[in-house]
Order: sequence, then C-alpha cells, then structure tokens
Amino acid sequence: MDEANYKRLTRERTPRQFTIATVSRVSLWLGGDHLLLVERSGFTETYKRFYFRDIQAITIQKTSRRSVWNGVLAVPLAICLFGLVVSLTSPRNTTGMVVSSILVTLTLIPFLLNNLRGPACACQLRTAVQTEDLGSLSRVRQTQKVLEKIRPLIVAAQGSLSPEEVAARMHQAASPQLGATPTEAPPASAPPVLS
Amino acid sequence: MSALLACPKCRAWLLEGVFNRPDLGPCPSCGIPLEIEVFPAFFREISPGQSAQPVMVEGESSCFFHPQKKAVVPCAGCGRFLCALCDCEFGKEHFCPACLEAGKSKGKIKALDNQRTRYDNIALALALLPFLIFYFTIVTAPMTLYVAIRYWNAPRGAVQKSRIRFILAIIIAVLQIGGWTTFFILVATKHT
Repeated sequence: MDEANYKRLTRERTPRQFTIATVSRVSLWLGGDHLLLVERSGFTETYKRFYFRDIQAITIQKTSRRSVWNGVLAVPLAICLFGLVVSLTSPRNTTGMVVSSILVTLTLIPFLLNNLRGPACACQLRTAVQTEDLGSLSRVRQTQKVLEKIRPLIVAAQGSLSPEEVAARMHQAASPQLGATPTEAPPASAPPVLS
Repeated sequence: MSALLACPKCRAWLLEGVFNRPDLGPCPSCGIPLEIEVFPAFFREISPGQSAQPVMVEGESSCFFHPQKKAVVPCAGCGRFLCALCDCEFGKEHFCPACLEAGKSKGKIKALDNQRTRYDNIALALALLPFLIFYFTIVTAPMTLYVAIRYWNAPRGAVQKSRIRFILAIIIAVLQIGGWTTFFILVATKHT
C-alpha cells in the first residue's frame, strides 16, 4: 500500500467527549486495503491499521452529547440574548448593542453548528482481537456517510450478510449458551442473554 | 472474543433487530438507538497455527533456526530457510522473525510502522511559539533551521506527504535571523 494513497475520512478531533483542549487528536483515513486510525499526541503520531478482511463489526451508538452541549451552550447564549434585548430597548446605547450583537453571534455559531451536525454518536470497530473506539466519528450522519464509503470495500473483501442471516447465526451461536447446564453457565459478571 | 455482540450501554447480548439495518434501531434491552454492521469475519473461526514438521529424509532442507524441522519457505528478507513455526507471513511475503523485527525497527516495512515523530511539526512549533516572547527567537531560530535541515529527509507522517511545514519553518526562522542580524547591525552602527 503506497502511503500517498490515503484518503481522509474524518477531520482530526479529540477522542474523548467534552474535551476542549487536549494533547491527543484522532483522525480516520482510507487506504487501499485498510482503514488507518491516526492518533496525534504532541509531536508523535501513532497508527492503527484495520484491514478490511479483519473487520468483524462496526457499532454506532447514539449518545446524548448533542443535548448536553446544547445545555452548556444555551446558558451563555441566553445571557447574551438578554444583553442584546436590554441594549436594544435602551436608547443611544450603540456600543452596548454592537458588543451584545458580537457576543450573541459568537455564542450562536457553536450552538447552531452543534445542532446542524445532527445527533451525536459513539462508534466502535471490532476485530477478532480488539474493540477500538473510533473517536473521530462523533455524529450519526457523518458516521453513516463514512460507513457507506467503507462498506463496499469490506464486502468486497469478505462478502455480505443480510439482517436475517446475522440474526440466525447469532441465535445459533447463542443456543449452546442458552442451553448450557448450570455448571457450564457463564459467570455472574457475564452479560445476560436476551431471548 | 465472544461469538456474540453486546449492547455498548447495557451489555446485554444482542441476537436480532439491530444488525445490518439501514438506520438506527433500539436495543431490545435498554432501548438506546443502535446500528451494528456485522461482517462475515465475525463468524469466521480462527484457524490454529501450523506446527513445524520434523526432517524425515537425510539431506532434506531444514529450518535455519530449527535444524531438526523441515523448511517450508525461504525468508523474503534474508533468504534463510524457515520452518512453519518461524514463517511469519506478512501480506504476500514470508519473513523470519529477525527480518520482521529489523523491518519494523528500521521502518522498511511500511505496514509495521505504527509510530512516527513529526519533525516538521517540531520545526514549525519552534519557529512560531517563541513569537509570544520574541527574545527567545534569537535561540529558537537557529534551532528551527537545524531541525528542519537535519530531518528534511526523515519520514513524515503516514498521511502527510508535503514538506510545507518544514518550508514555512525555514522561512520564518530565516526572517527571524534576518531581523536579529539587522538589529545588531543597527546597534553596532549607532555606537560607531
């Protein structure tokens, strides 16, 4: 795989939620036969390669991060809006009006961006030996777009499964555990099986 | 790894309803919206590793590292004969453990390269950060030039090909050095 052939899938972003300033940033790149997860920490970059033939599953879980950010951003926005209304109602207060307008714009932009980007999510990629958080995939819409790009490549490397096939195989895999004798039952810490 | 998938939130095993759907569906246990794309590799059995066969016939090629074991393939790096135990298949090539280790440490096998230092970022930071306290640039500007020239040919990031950061750092450092030189010349001429 020629390194120059990597295509950017996501921009760099902080891998953890609600971190504004952090030393570590991750991005996702598309190679010829693999995905490349780049984690930049200070002046060092660490690479993780996920070959299409090895990817077992990709999980997208909707999170409440957008709502939480809305709550966080709404407070300064409300205060600035209140200031703007006050300055508009008081005559000959041009400076206050200009300052309030700037502050409203500065707080409104991140608020709008947070909502325009759509619902937030957490994305995980699973292989036979690891489950990796894809921290740069943080919005459902963006993640689904990326998934649409990589799905054909994974299918070309492995083939595809219909939802019915997956369900049937999952039931098949679960049946020995569901029918296990008490001595063979998983430990109490194991997750429960849903029927 | 388990042959079942669990909900990332409630950890309940998932058997149906959320797999390979076009959009998010609720987890049957906790109701959180989920979408899980499962691929055939999930159900693939991991095959056990090969065991090396002993040499059966006198004069038969044997492994360089295990003379009692039958050679199955030559190393693509050093040409030594390898048994099934020593054969490290990587992509379409076969390496001995020593060549694989050497390839990783020297960065010859790109796919094994999992960490790099970004000297271009160091050079640019050295050029830009001292602007906050300008007097430091008298020291950092030559340092920037040194880093940029010393590591000009060093591998850059796996996804960053251009030398634009090095070039910017050199330009800024040269301007800083030029500024200091002008300053000292002006001071010298003023005193004379």
